[in-house]
Amino acid sequence: MSATVENRRSEEMIKKAKKQSPWAIARRKLFSNKLAMISLGFLVLVTILAYLAPVIAPFDPYRVDIMNRNASPSADHWLGTDNSGRDILSLLIYGGRTSLTIGFICMFAVVIIGTTIGSIAGFYGGLVDSLLMRFTDFVMNFPYLVFVIVLASIFREAGIWALILVISSLGWTGAARVVRSKTMSEKENEYVMAAISIGGTPFKVIRKHLLPNVMTTIIVQATLLLAVMIVAETALSFLGFGVPAGTPSWGNMMSEARQPHVIRTMWWVWVPPAMAITLTILAINFIGEGIKDAFNPKSTR
Amino acid sequence: MLLYTLRRIVIMIPILIMISIVVFALALAMPGDALSGQIDPSNTKPEYIEEMREQLGLNDPVHVQYGRWAAGILQWDFGRSFVHRMDVTEAIGQRLPNTILLSVLSLLLTYVLAFFMGRYAGRHPYTIGDYGIQGLNYLMLAIPSFVAAIFAIFFFSFQLGWFPATGSIGSGVTPGTMEYYLSKLKHAALPAIVLGMLTTASYTQFLRNDIIENAQKDYVRTARAKGTPENKIYNKHILRNSIIPIVTLFGFDIGSIIGGAVIIETVFTYPGIGELLITSIGRRDSAVVIAITLMLSVATLVGNLIADLLYGVIDPRIRVE
Repeated sequence: MSATVENRRSEEMIKKAKKQSPWAIARRKLFSNKLAMISLGFLVLVTILAYLAPVIAPFDPYRVDIMNRNASPSADHWLGTDNSGRDILSLLIYGGRTSLTIGFICMFAVVIIGTTIGSIAGFYGGLVDSLLMRFTDFVMNFPYLVFVIVLASIFREAGIWALILVISSLGWTGAARVVRSKTMSEKENEYVMAAISIGGTPFKVIRKHLLPNVMTTIIVQATLLLAVMIVAETALSFLGFGVPAGTPSWGNMMSEARQPHVIRTMWWVWVPPAMAITLTILAINFIGEGIKDAFNPKSTR
Repeated sequence: MLLYTLRRIVIMIPILIMISIVVFALALAMPGDALSGQIDPSNTKPEYIEEMREQLGLNDPVHVQYGRWAAGILQWDFGRSFVHRMDVTEAIGQRLPNTILLSVLSLLLTYVLAFFMGRYAGRHPYTIGDYGIQGLNYLMLAIPSFVAAIFAIFFFSFQLGWFPATGSIGSGVTPGTMEYYLSKLKHAALPAIVLGMLTTASYTQFLRNDIIENAQKDYVRTARAKGTPENKIYNKHILRNSIIPIVTLFGFDIGSIIGGAVIIETVFTYPGIGELLITSIGRRDSAVVIAITLMLSVATLVGNLIADLLYGVIDPRIRVE
């Protein structure tokens, strides 16, 4: 009697397991990955704090206070003040908003450009593919950072949107290549041929049939790209070619540390943004690894 | 192999021309006179600028200007630097040895560190040592180079005093002596370590995973069955197979080092061409900016070519098209 109950239960479980979509399996795997979940929690927390900046920041980040320049951490200013007396903690929170926003926008732009070019090249193949890929290789030949710096210096007056345009217009090549190779292998499947044979237009086949199957690759790429884009923005701002000086951003905060005496004596000016950048990138990398692992059918974690 | 090499080099020529056109377009968009560097950027009188532009042929059609500029470059004439009051080639030539020293040292450190860490972690996977190396790797991959550079200056230069924080040479050292070379090396060491960090982390990871994967292959089992000592299996059989893929990445390193050097040299105020690029942009010394941009693009292209060629050496299938 109990044996049949056991049997039925296990049969049900198998049925349940079979019913699970790849997405559900991946989600379950991701949720059980402690490191990725802690990282996700951290990233969400940082994002929420950054976007609540006007509510939680103790001071106005633009408020210059000549009397309180370069003050070390105190009860009033938890993380001290910078060269012009601005509160570091408030700058950090507002700066997070700038850096994360630019990072997210650039990531979306890069993913959209890369996915479009990659999927078109992979789907059509032939002449279209070789033209688009030659173009991608060509853009790849430029030293990324050098060109971004030179372009950003030319368009320095044009503000944040020009910066976003510059960062993303050169950063899509890797994503395009990955999406292309994935699309090419996915295209060989019968369901694509079936979709074409019943008269699906190329656009519809790519959007409805190919992209959902390439999505896992795109998501992993997007996570890793988010980290790259945040680094690009902070590095550019650090060098003075990014977000306009005066606007709070993690990179602009770090640029104070270009003077040796700041590094030597005023740790509270550069350690907070340095830690914020590093921990954010670390968290994003762990989430990316977690997602990659979750979608990998070979991993049994 | 020779045919393959020649073919790769021939393919490079049209790409070089296209790159030069892009750089030329940048030059036209830059403030001041980026093509010859003859116009004083601080003199803003319209008559002066107009007269100089006419004299230098900057009002000619674009293709005429491009032809003149490209012909100049083929004759090794990159114009003049207004800030340094010398030819651009000379200004770059003064800085180039420093950047080369930094890059070579960085590559050397990268390979040595990655080799030992990767070998250890691959041979003892899932032990405390391996986890330590993996943790370090994650940190090195996550921390942006300029942040790492500032931490390195803080700890190793200011707190411990092991390395100088800025410059490329100590004061009052006579060139040519032993002391001079040691001082140069000491100044380049810290930037080189930071510069090589990212590649070190990825190579270590690569080598570790490859060793672990290879250790389960049949040829290793055969070697074990024959009674080959474990040391020999790892050092001779596995390592030789695992090290090959890393060698091919050497060419791509040139590209990543170029980008990194711009930032690292600026943080350490190390007088190399990366630092020259940044200061020249700040001083609107456009001719220098354009020359360095072109030079670094060509260097990246050559790096990719080397990577391709090395790949062809190692994997003969690539050579047949």
